[in-house]
Amino acid sequence: MSATGWTLLLRLGLRRDRVLAPAGIGVLVLMSIASAAATPSLYDGPAERIHAAEAINASPAIVALYGPILDVTSEGELAMTKMTVLYAVFAAVLFVAVVRRHTRVEEETGRTELIGGTAVGRDAPLVAAGVEALLLAGVLGVLTALGNVIGGLDAGGSVAFGLLWGGSALVAAGIGLLTAQLSASARTCAGFAAGAIGVLFVLRAVGDTGPQWVSWLSPLGWNTQVRAYGDTRWWLLLAYPLLALALAGGAVLLRSRRDLGAGLLATRPGPATGSPRLADAFSLAVKVHATTLLLWSVAAAALGVVFGMIAPGVGDLLDNATAQSIIDELGGALVSAILSIVAVVLTYFAATVVGHTARDETDGRVEIVLATGVSRTRWFAATAVLALAGTAWLLVVTGVGLWVGYVAADGPGIGNLVTAALAWVPAAWVVGALAALCLALGARWAALVWVWPAAFLTLSLLGDLLDLPGWLTGLSPYAHVPLLPAASWDWGSAGGLTAVAVVLLGVAWWRFRARDIG
Amino acid sequence: MTSPLIEVRGLVKAFGRFRALDGLDLVVEPGEVHGFLGPNGAGKSTTIRVLLGLLRKDAGEVRLLGGDPWADAAGLHRRLAYVPGDVSLWPNLSGGEIVDLLIRMRGADPAASRREELIERFSLDPTKRGRAYSKGNRQKVALVAALATDPDLLILDEPTSGLDPLMEQVFNDCVAEQTARGATVLLSSHILSEVERLVDRVTIIREGRVVESGSLGSLRHLHRTKVVATVTGPPPELTGIDGVHDVAVAGDQVSCSVEPDVLPRVLRALTDAGVTALTSTPPSLEELFLDAYRDRAGARR
Repeated sequence: MSATGWTLLLRLGLRRDRVLAPAGIGVLVLMSIASAAATPSLYDGPAERIHAAEAINASPAIVALYGPILDVTSEGELAMTKMTVLYAVFAAVLFVAVVRRHTRVEEETGRTELIGGTAVGRDAPLVAAGVEALLLAGVLGVLTALGNVIGGLDAGGSVAFGLLWGGSALVAAGIGLLTAQLSASARTCAGFAAGAIGVLFVLRAVGDTGPQWVSWLSPLGWNTQVRAYGDTRWWLLLAYPLLALALAGGAVLLRSRRDLGAGLLATRPGPATGSPRLADAFSLAVKVHATTLLLWSVAAAALGVVFGMIAPGVGDLLDNATAQSIIDELGGALVSAILSIVAVVLTYFAATVVGHTARDETDGRVEIVLATGVSRTRWFAATAVLALAGTAWLLVVTGVGLWVGYVAADGPGIGNLVTAALAWVPAAWVVGALAALCLALGARWAALVWVWPAAFLTLSLLGDLLDLPGWLTGLSPYAHVPLLPAASWDWGSAGGLTAVAVVLLGVAWWRFRARDIG
Repeated sequence: MTSPLIEVRGLVKAFGRFRALDGLDLVVEPGEVHGFLGPNGAGKSTTIRVLLGLLRKDAGEVRLLGGDPWADAAGLHRRLAYVPGDVSLWPNLSGGEIVDLLIRMRGADPAASRREELIERFSLDPTKRGRAYSKGNRQKVALVAALATDPDLLILDEPTSGLDPLMEQVFNDCVAEQTARGATVLLSSHILSEVERLVDRVTIIREGRVVESGSLGSLRHLHRTKVVATVTGPPPELTGIDGVHDVAVAGDQVSCSVEPDVLPRVLRALTDAGVTALTSTPPSLEELFLDAYRDRAGARR
């Protein structure tokens, strides 16, 4: 192993992440503080709080999404319901992104080659990325622990919670390092990492609602099993760094067995001639994103089926008025709770497409295309249509998955689950259109496409917790979606959101036609 | 009298406070190979991007193939082919796919084009993925796509910068074939000697303005040769000769830049002085500019 010069790369990495890392960690810590601080005011005394915790445990659907509350008497466990697993997933995504950015993306763009020509060892980028993740995970853990104490939770539990978040982030970084070795394509590597996190999440969901040992297979399951604010299993916190170290060690091993720029999976030669269908901006966009869309579709379908099968459990609770209201407080009935998060995640498909077009521009590929008979309007339309249609398609796939799972599990009646998923399409379109507008303003604004969905999700969650004024939470397109299947389809909101999306796209198209390219 | 294929008058393009193009003129007549020269950062690529309708001009007039490149970019582009200086390909598409895609995007049929022949001549492996190509091979992909059809106009931005000498020869042959059938070529470069065998006329720009423009013959004074010689005897007296510039003597080494007419005289003088080593290089554009500016400043005095 040769890691000479990794400290230089670490400083370079920290400098490049000076916005991304503080912003990502800041939002996560803020969410945790808000959850900690808001919980006491939500319940009148311990009795009601315990009742609420029991109601959550009694709903397999909520448990599948957030994990169970192992100590119902603990205020901290209840306060951290959403944070323990679901927000740990968001932290994991952040850490995978940071690690990938400094390893495979750098290799694919050829910058690692530039670095490799200097007095820097072959493993230095990997080591630097790992150490940066370790530092950032430490910062995340410490700030989260402090934040939860400030939010009013007990100190011992907060330390355990900070450690388990930091630990989850470390494991995610390990997954990021390992998957970055697999393919020469940074996008494929991201797909592997996302798939791994998805599998870990589903394992935990299955274990928490069925055979419990399955949860122990997933680090996300450990998050619940640590029981940070109950009878803490301190020893379990050791498992995170051990697993992360094993993953990082695996990454170093794989790195030593491959060449710079290559993946472990060999690149197959491509066709010598192009298909006649690959002839304009639209077919190019479809071709470039086909694999990504396929992977997203499989993931959306799988997620839909799993949660669809868990959903019928909600029915048992419907006669219990108090429990129902508590479940509503946690984000509405299961389907709408899942969809409210899935819709935001699926909007990231639109962000991926728009972000890719921005990269095409900064790299110079747009220049080549626009120097042919392809007009700016067609180029822009190809991106916008694929982004919006793709997101809508993925929501439909999720809805169908939910319905299939629901029917397979003998759910009472056949719910309008596909319609429930469709209800989120207009809101996702507005966010996708905002992304397109960023692209239209200039490729350098395109980094913002990654911010919108997360910002709106954060806004709505903070709005619930902090009782923010309606006009503020109403800025989020997702806030205007009727929560089907409990609520009914609302043509007013669907039409209004679609109209907003159309106007945004119109402005974006008008700007894109008039600006400099490159 | 046919109208020029490219006609640029007083073109101004500013990026913020920086004026990349500052009143630039460029005229390319039908059927000619026009060398578009300038040092790095002179504004060559910016001019080409305005010509392609990728950048919006701030002032001046731009006509391309008789049309307005900003208003009717896509329509005009069917009649031209463009190779950028720094070719970036789609990482997961194969070279062959990209060649065919670009040909189809210009409204032509790859099967009816010379793509097979050119892939062979440039010895390009069309099954490799975009991410796997070296700089030179990426350039070949763009060149094959551009040269495979019969466009009226070829716009080539430093097309040979990544090619080896063998491939450069293939490229020169291809350009000659294109002009033989009547195509017009705009060829940008920062090295005069690289393009002088191909071009009929040149426009030389610097800091967004035209420094020189005309036929190669009319730019004889740019054809200086930089000579460095090591002599055994006393260094010859060269400063007095009209057409010899920048004479410098350091020990037994003599260097100077020489206009073509007096080159025989200089070589004779060096032979008489017992030359043991001799190198001659075409001057870089920067050196030419230094000369041009100094001469002009001297003439004014």
